[in-house]
Amino acid sequence: MEHQLLIQGLSKSFPGVKALDDVFIKAEGGRVTALMGENGAGKSTLLKILAGDIEADEGSFSIDGQAQTYKTPLGAISAGVSVIYQERQLMPSLSVMENIFAGKLPKNRLGMIDYSRLRQDTEDIIAKFGLAIDPRASVGSLSIAYQQMVEIMKAYRRDSLVIAFDEPTASLAEAEISILFGLIERLREAGKIILYVSHRMSEIFQTTDDVIVLKDGKNAGAFMTSAVSETELIRAMVGRDIGNTYAGLDRNTELGAELLTVRDLETDKLQRVSFSMRQGEIIGFAGLVGAGRTELARAIFAADGIKGGEIIFGGEPVRFRSPKDAINAGIALCPEDRKEQGLVLSHSITKNISIPVLDKLLKARFLQTAEEEKLADEAVRKYDIRTPSVDKRVVELSGGNQQKVILGRWTNEKMNTKLLILDEPTKGIDVGTKAEIYQRICDFAKAGIGVIFISSELTEVINIADTIYVMRSGKITGKLSRGEATEESVLALAMKADG
Amino acid sequence: MNGKRFLMSKTFTLLAFLALLILAFGIATGWRFVELVNIRNILQTTSVIGLLAVGAGALMIAGYIDLSAGGVGTMCALLCAVMLSRGVPWYAGTLAAVALGIIAGLFSAFLINKLNFQPFIATLAMAQVTEGLAYLICNATPIPVKDPVLKFIGGARIFTYIPYSVLIVIIAFVIYAILMNKTKFGRSVYLIGANPEASRLAGLNPKRLTYILFANSGALASIAGILLMSRSGTANATGITKNQFSGITAAVLGGISFGGGNGGIAGAFIGLLILGSFNNAMTLLGLDAYLQTTAAGALLIAALIIDSLTARRTLSGKKPRSKAKADKEAAQ
Repeated sequence: MEHQLLIQGLSKSFPGVKALDDVFIKAEGGRVTALMGENGAGKSTLLKILAGDIEADEGSFSIDGQAQTYKTPLGAISAGVSVIYQERQLMPSLSVMENIFAGKLPKNRLGMIDYSRLRQDTEDIIAKFGLAIDPRASVGSLSIAYQQMVEIMKAYRRDSLVIAFDEPTASLAEAEISILFGLIERLREAGKIILYVSHRMSEIFQTTDDVIVLKDGKNAGAFMTSAVSETELIRAMVGRDIGNTYAGLDRNTELGAELLTVRDLETDKLQRVSFSMRQGEIIGFAGLVGAGRTELARAIFAADGIKGGEIIFGGEPVRFRSPKDAINAGIALCPEDRKEQGLVLSHSITKNISIPVLDKLLKARFLQTAEEEKLADEAVRKYDIRTPSVDKRVVELSGGNQQKVILGRWTNEKMNTKLLILDEPTKGIDVGTKAEIYQRICDFAKAGIGVIFISSELTEVINIADTIYVMRSGKITGKLSRGEATEESVLALAMKADG
Repeated sequence: MNGKRFLMSKTFTLLAFLALLILAFGIATGWRFVELVNIRNILQTTSVIGLLAVGAGALMIAGYIDLSAGGVGTMCALLCAVMLSRGVPWYAGTLAAVALGIIAGLFSAFLINKLNFQPFIATLAMAQVTEGLAYLICNATPIPVKDPVLKFIGGARIFTYIPYSVLIVIIAFVIYAILMNKTKFGRSVYLIGANPEASRLAGLNPKRLTYILFANSGALASIAGILLMSRSGTANATGITKNQFSGITAAVLGGISFGGGNGGIAGAFIGLLILGSFNNAMTLLGLDAYLQTTAAGALLIAALIIDSLTARRTLSGKKPRSKAKADKEAAQ
């Protein structure tokens, strides 16, 4: 008999929201079941309940007909449930083998860790998945993709029956994604019950067998992947048709003067990178994770030092010594890691928006808080940031609203942003908000701002950017215009062999 | 701040706690505790700690700690005392001492900024360096301070009731409270304390701020050292080394946490009053001097427990802070 996970009548409330409301889920072994829904639909809450992180208010769930009542992460593990979150849950300074066998390290007769057996057992697992990882390597030295694979192997080692993935591809590049899909395939063959949360349509159709859609904490549809269309899924998720995201964009058609020229830029990670762009132009950077796109953004913004080459901005050679210099010249960066690098989470919306313009808010050296709040109010209005007040701490906002706070910071009326660098601006953001951000990007271009748009989601780069640069190993390996770029052509350049 | 928000604020909790302490000590000591002479006494004995609390508080809000404040202040005061004994005028001696304090602070900041030392380690080393230098300067013998101006500042009172040393501390607290709440400098301290990298990428300069804050800590420590020496009439190698942890304790009692990014100078002042009142009452009640130290530690633990309980209350009903945050994320 196939394994089965059955969740019935699951409800969970938080102060002010009903995160899950009478949810029913049935997932079978040997199949990949997608969980879809906008941010706030309840997917993460569901995973957290499964993982034993939080307790449900009502409802029950069973695995193979056996009712589960665990309330702790340890209970989840012994019940055979593993949840693989976006944030890795590994110990970076320990080795791959120690991580995989954490909690169940083999011991010898003296009670010491039996390293040779540990290594052998780990190698067996690695071989089973067909990967090339050294069991002794420290996890911290691995790329994000490989760290994730270590987590999957950990779940496999625990002999978990239910393995749930929370947006596993969010920080992976296409090539790594295909390795991940290979692993998932093996888990499927092994008859595991696999839950798969993702915002990316293409992946849903590529890897899953069933789709369960949640909306506002309630069931909003269950489908066989092979028998459903993208439009139907989107309608179930947002409750309406949103049309073709890209065709409806109101784009900029007029390019201005030369804005930025980068010539032979070199850093620890970049090799002789050259490109140029004009005012009102959107240029996209595609490539695998680690290709050097974030490093390029940080080098232009002077967040990291550069070793050689030239940056010409607004017609003049510049050599910024700090992000502050770059900001003063009119360059803004929305970093990839918006929670850690983009925002000061424990502070209010107002305080996050005013940081770069504090100097302009001074009157006789004192901060004019009324004027400061006006800036924040304006950003809330302009970007439709969902919040009861500008005093709300940013940590309490959803991902999409957090991103809007950063955009509000860089485009407030006291800023003079000429070049906006967006590093993965739609990462972890729901379909509806994504479309909103795409239009914003076009609006910036129409206002004459140059936009550098970095994204690992191929569809969005090739559909938003006027010009697409592809990077690999710190070098630009190709330049394509919007019309000529296809997912295949970009991927080919991103994975091109050196030489 | 409107009335309701004030009632929910940390400052209110602290004030309520202070009021409660005063009432309790008043009753326990037969109201000797609240006599004007005794209140003056409390203020005067906490003045040195107060200056240290201001410097430590600002640093802690920025996410730093300076363990060398005691050593630096002691060393600087001794330098001043030596200069005075050689006939240098009081203002020149004081200026030289403050300059040395600033240099010591800048050096700690250099170790942290340029060589990536942990603040804890950098200032621990500096504490030992400066304490050793203090012994060298005075040859381990106390140096009497006879300068009339300094003795006046240390001992005299305005309107016969307010000692100058108390006035200096109050002025320091007012200046720093304004700096921290109303200026770009203060805002930067809070932002950088909460997230230095995000602040840097938004155009602030964390390294420069580190230099300023440590220089500031050194200068305040130096003034604290001179204040103690002026009040006691001698400078010795122990100096204010015993006071520096009281300064940090006052800041923590006042709601400034080690993580950085929160708390306030006003709170630190209330924390100072709580600590001062407590120590004074323990003396009035005749508690053994050694037990007083233990009691002060117990007070700190009690204050932190109250803090964590009120943090639960102020955030989303009944949930403790971390839980409420986790739940919020889970709701996404």
